[in-house]
Amino acid sequence: MKSSILAAGLVAATCATPAMADKLDDIISAGVLRCAVVLDFPPMGSRDADNNPIGFDVDYCNDLAAALGVTAEVVETTFPERIPSLMSGSVDVVVGSTSDTLERAKTVGMTMPYYAFENAVVVSEKSGITDEAGMQGKTVGATAGTYEAIWLEEKVKEWGAGEFRPYQNQADVFLALSQGQLDATVSTMEVAQANVKTGNFPGISIVAKADMVPDYVALVTLREEYGLLNFMNLFINQQVRTGRYAELYTKWVGEGEPANLTIPGVYR
Amino acid sequence: MFETALTYNDLMFLAKGAGMTLMVTAISVFIGTVLGIIFGVFRYQVGALWAMPLTFVLDVFRSIPLLIQLVLANAFITTVLKIKVSGLTVACGVLSLYTAAYCAEIVRGGIEAVPLPLRRAARSLGMTWGQDMTSVVMPLATRVALPSWIGLALGVMKDSALVYIVQVVELLKSTQILITRLQEPLFLLMICGLFYFVISFPIARFGGYLEKRWSND
Repeated sequence: MKSSILAAGLVAATCATPAMADKLDDIISAGVLRCAVVLDFPPMGSRDADNNPIGFDVDYCNDLAAALGVTAEVVETTFPERIPSLMSGSVDVVVGSTSDTLERAKTVGMTMPYYAFENAVVVSEKSGITDEAGMQGKTVGATAGTYEAIWLEEKVKEWGAGEFRPYQNQADVFLALSQGQLDATVSTMEVAQANVKTGNFPGISIVAKADMVPDYVALVTLREEYGLLNFMNLFINQQVRTGRYAELYTKWVGEGEPANLTIPGVYR
Repeated sequence: MFETALTYNDLMFLAKGAGMTLMVTAISVFIGTVLGIIFGVFRYQVGALWAMPLTFVLDVFRSIPLLIQLVLANAFITTVLKIKVSGLTVACGVLSLYTAAYCAEIVRGGIEAVPLPLRRAARSLGMTWGQDMTSVVMPLATRVALPSWIGLALGVMKDSALVYIVQVVELLKSTQILITRLQEPLFLLMICGLFYFVISFPIARFGGYLEKRWSND
């Protein structure tokens, strides 16, 4: 008897849940999109001389807000704070170069990749290397312990020729390259572009993209917000389709083709 | 060694942060003091037993770290109650209650410091409770409570550095933003400390001045 009352109560409670507006509706009615952006990660996010937020992610947030017809509010976040700030409701989406790991997808909802960090083959101009295969048998180096260094060391072992040199930091690698102690290195495209641009390292150039799996990053929101995830997936598609993706790449990273956001042989 | 990339713009940015710190402090200390006086008088008047629920609530505000109070209050208001408020409102609200909790103790202590025979004398002269409170207790209690209250105000000003957690860009947060961009932590923290000093020193001196003026010897 008692349990049947309880059951009836439970059924009533479940059915009585009113239809709720989802986050997509909330953002549009509030007129503000709050994006968590990491601002100590140039060129994706940083501050200009007037301390206003700038960068690829900041522009991406503004574009998303414009697509929703609302104003953007950039909320500065650190890398470890990205997901907590989303869960605690202080932001609506994270536009913070978040790698789309399966571990994170257990907690939050990921869109399809909106950007991918690729690795570039950077060479000393004297070495005459023009592509990745050209590194075979040459002296290569990278910052010890990084993903690129492990990959390069592996390659050198595989070739059975050439030499791998580890360095303490990225600046040392480029300096060695510029002075001709190294023939080639591999580093993130963004870092390579930024360092070549400074002009501190004459005689080095980016010749090709390395054939490594890029670090795909996605926009993030609460995992139950399918309406918003759906919208953002289409938005990313439109950014690429309209050429805005390439435009932002040129603006913040540098000349060249932005990374391909699809993976051959699989959907999404 | 003495070169810096700090520009006039950045100093203005810091000054803006200092302004925010001052504003948050002023609002919180004002509301907190008003509430603190009400709570303090109430606690003294109704006695320990009846004031227990209030004492408990105030103790909660005094014993939980401010940072946690801010995060929890912000999450509760925005996600549970779904009320859209700015971080500044949350910050001022929490800081006000935090100030009130301390201020209530200061006020109670001040009132207790007024000798009871004096108050009885006042009532014997035919003064009402209100007259006794405003003309006898208040002037004496204020003199006793002022140094602690100045200390509280300065403390709240420095504690207001924690409101960055609810997205309020005050002095310390502005400094951190500049540190990220300019990579000169020691120099910038020195300037930040200087700003805090410039704000608090006059308050401390003003307190000292009042103390001296009000002492009757």
